[in-house]
Amino acid sequence: MKKLTIIFFSLLVLVASVPSHAASVFEGKTITIVVGYKPGGGYDRYARLIAKHLPKYIPGSPAVIIQNMPGASSVIAANHLFNVAKPDGLTFGTFNNATVIAQLIKVEGVKFDLAKFLWLGSAASDAVVLTVRSDVPYKSAEDLRKAKQFVIGTTGPGSSTHDFPALLKEYAGFDFKLVPGYSSSADVMLAIERKEVDGRAGSYDSIKPFMDRGLVRPILRNRTSAPGIEKLPVDENLATSQKGKIVMAVNAVPTQIYRPFVAPPATPKDVMKVLRDAFANALKDKELLAEAEKGKMTIDYTSSEDALKVVAEVLAQPPDIVQELAKHIKFGD
Amino acid sequence: MLDTFIQGLFVVLEWQTFLVMLVGIFLGFWVGLLPGLGGTTTLALMLPFIYKMTPVEAFAFLLGMHSVVSTTGDITSVLFGIPGEGTTAATILDGHAMAKKGEAGRALGAALMSSLIGALIGAFALALSIPIVRPLVLTFGAPELFMLAVVGIAFISSLSGEGGRALLRGVLAGLLGLLFALVGQDPQAGVQRFTFGQLYLWGGLDLVPVLVGLFAIPEIVDLAVRGTSIAGELPPENLGKGVWVGVKDTFVHLGLTVRCSLVGTFIGIMPGLGGGVAQWIAYGHAVQSARDSEERTGFGKGDVRGVLGPGAANNSKEGGSLIPTIAFGVPGSSSMAILLGAFFLQGISPGPDMLDKHLVLTFSMVWTMVVANIITVAVSLLFLNYLAKLTLIRGSVLIPFILFFSFIGAYTSNNHLGDLAVLLAFGFFGYLMIRCGWPRAPLVLGFVLGRIAENNFYISTIRYGSAWVGRPLVLVLIALTVIVLFFPLIRSKWQESTKGETQ
Amino acid sequence: MKALVSLRFILGFAAACIAGYALYASLHWPFKTALFPRVIGFPLLLLALIEMALSIWGVEKEREGHAVDFELTTAVEPALAQKRTLLICTWIIGFLALIIAFGFPLAVPIFVFAYLRIAGREPLTLSFVLTLVSWIFMEGVFDRFLHIPFPEGWILGLWR
Repeated sequence: MKKLTIIFFSLLVLVASVPSHAASVFEGKTITIVVGYKPGGGYDRYARLIAKHLPKYIPGSPAVIIQNMPGASSVIAANHLFNVAKPDGLTFGTFNNATVIAQLIKVEGVKFDLAKFLWLGSAASDAVVLTVRSDVPYKSAEDLRKAKQFVIGTTGPGSSTHDFPALLKEYAGFDFKLVPGYSSSADVMLAIERKEVDGRAGSYDSIKPFMDRGLVRPILRNRTSAPGIEKLPVDENLATSQKGKIVMAVNAVPTQIYRPFVAPPATPKDVMKVLRDAFANALKDKELLAEAEKGKMTIDYTSSEDALKVVAEVLAQPPDIVQELAKHIKFGD
Repeated sequence: MLDTFIQGLFVVLEWQTFLVMLVGIFLGFWVGLLPGLGGTTTLALMLPFIYKMTPVEAFAFLLGMHSVVSTTGDITSVLFGIPGEGTTAATILDGHAMAKKGEAGRALGAALMSSLIGALIGAFALALSIPIVRPLVLTFGAPELFMLAVVGIAFISSLSGEGGRALLRGVLAGLLGLLFALVGQDPQAGVQRFTFGQLYLWGGLDLVPVLVGLFAIPEIVDLAVRGTSIAGELPPENLGKGVWVGVKDTFVHLGLTVRCSLVGTFIGIMPGLGGGVAQWIAYGHAVQSARDSEERTGFGKGDVRGVLGPGAANNSKEGGSLIPTIAFGVPGSSSMAILLGAFFLQGISPGPDMLDKHLVLTFSMVWTMVVANIITVAVSLLFLNYLAKLTLIRGSVLIPFILFFSFIGAYTSNNHLGDLAVLLAFGFFGYLMIRCGWPRAPLVLGFVLGRIAENNFYISTIRYGSAWVGRPLVLVLIALTVIVLFFPLIRSKWQESTKGETQ
Repeated sequence: MKALVSLRFILGFAAACIAGYALYASLHWPFKTALFPRVIGFPLLLLALIEMALSIWGVEKEREGHAVDFELTTAVEPALAQKRTLLICTWIIGFLALIIAFGFPLAVPIFVFAYLRIAGREPLTLSFVLTLVSWIFMEGVFDRFLHIPFPEGWILGLWR
């Protein structure tokens, strides 16, 4: 009986010491979130929002700060997190979701492996939509297919403004005239008002204000949906070949993990558990959701397991698909 | 409309709004002054603070901060030759040259007063243009933007100096600048150009490290060689009194100041032209206003007009760049992009509503820029004399600090050691250019306009074929390009003929 | 005079090399990507060659071709100017070396102190005070307040 009590209490102490070990990791320390873009951009805002509410859910209530490491569409930040950042649980980061494509098509300079990162999850998914100016006579995707040389403004290969319509043109028989070179996606909206171009593709979140204003109307979306556009036809379903369908799918899949948060590969398992739970809880936090709502930031949590499934799906593509993809998709901004 | 305009002022003067505006002004004052604290970055960092504010308070705070940055940035440019912001580099050419002649006070007075006038004109342009803003911005498409870039590039002829050899070198510098602008990923095919396998260069060369290198480093070398204080061995009598002389200069050359303000406003209105362009075109215009070739060679060596032009333009463009941001939701510059985020945080969608439902807010923003700049200039004038005395400190004490701020100013562009490499490379190059008599302004002009020219050229050709060349506005701009290009020649021929007449 | 001429030649040559490289790199690019580099590169190469030629054979009159820009001081005699120029360049490159070796936050106070004492021969107290000011600025504003990421110095990396 006495032995049992001793064992019981030792186990109790052991169990009780696990969270306190985690607490001692974070107590009085500072967590750094590395962001692959300059302050003010979308990834930065999500990181700062999470940084504000995360300490409530981590034992020891550490301070959370942001460090910006812009460059090469966040490849610099991703490389840093993979190779240089200390894996002590005090550093994690966020960068461009398309880095998985960069890894797939073997972009020069990529020195990370998204499958080996320890994921906290993704804070949001992002639908990509194709929109046209409201006064254009095409009301549906089928209509649009009949259009000749329909002008779409883009910011250049590598961004969703360009790649989404490029794939539609190549694999779904749309006769688009792509006009790249606009300095930002907002400039494309201005060009639409000017009637210089007639349509724009891109992130639903960033186009939504213009849709609400009545400037543009959505026609198609990619497989990631969002409230309000569920009924739109999906680009993959319009592909005229199986290969095209797969290429579109591979391009679309990363948007499900649009705001990825990862930690360096060697971060200890118990620390990762704390971070993962804190991340998930912070994204359910009422105050965070209210602020996100106000800032028009969608929150849509994906767990680390699901995120890794997405990554695995992309990276498992056979070489012929990779080659096909690389022909039409470049990695960039 | 008029009563809404006045209402905008009263709303800004309410004590809570006024208080947050003062906080913003205080922040903006230091952000502009200190290299390394970028105006855009600080705006982004301040966004979380506006959650609890009303829209008028939020923008009084943010704009109060932002509109002051270009004003105080001129101070560092004049005193130490370091561009604290990408937008205040042109002021260095003549402003710092004046400081080296012991006229720091005068340069500062001129910079501040022209900044105030520029800010006022920019702000009122915003107010006055509200009825015409939409048609104005919508008329300028990619072909017109391309031509505007070409007009800007044509200013190289005015910025080169006297004589054929100077023009040759000016064009060389301009072409080099254009080439440097092309570094990075090209938007047509996604090819990496001139990046030598370096990830850092994928996005191209950043403006601030290039400017700090080109301008601050040679000044530091010169200061070390002279072995004196910035103001040199000249008697410091002019130093303090100079401030009011500088202020008066602004009104003596009021025409130039106003014209450059208008140029700045216009460039600010055109989205896509970027923040770095306005000051250089204004500087080019200021050089053109020189009455003869002798006066023209005085530029770059301490002509107060070289301070007035850019000083006014870099403030007026702020008012200008607010216009497309508010009227279309399209940011006129990178800091405006942050401000857009602020709009969304406040639950406001910029667009036609701003000129209609939210008109009071729009006018309050105009008044914020006006009031903030008046306060800043008034306060600065009070202790400008003491600031000017900094140019009397011996160089060996100042140099480590100027180097520190140059390095950190460059580094905070990308938080990457590559920024420092660019800084030193352009520093070395800038020094060589000065040693060999190559003007630097054309290089900067080519650098800021290169991408705009290329991108809009392709948009125009892909979209319109060759038809865009015949558009009426394009033809006007072609004519303007020719005038600007041959301006120095036209001027000297005209002077020769008038001289002949008097003889 | 001769030294100046050869420096002008070198700069012209550098511009020609840059133009040449641009043209060479553009050979492998698709037409649209190569157009602007070529349109800029050809005149650049041509004019750079002219500048090179002029700097050897042309006669540059004193004060001809004034650039709209400042000129380096002529108040100091050339030999001394040369020495001081080389010295300050060494310090500037030295600052970069310190940053790489020790990381930015440490390099700044080290550099400030070293420059003030060695190049400036400033008194010890003043040097200490100014170094402290620079360190407070560096740590306080850029490190603690703005959280700018600074890569660890190479030497500290070795030590770990």
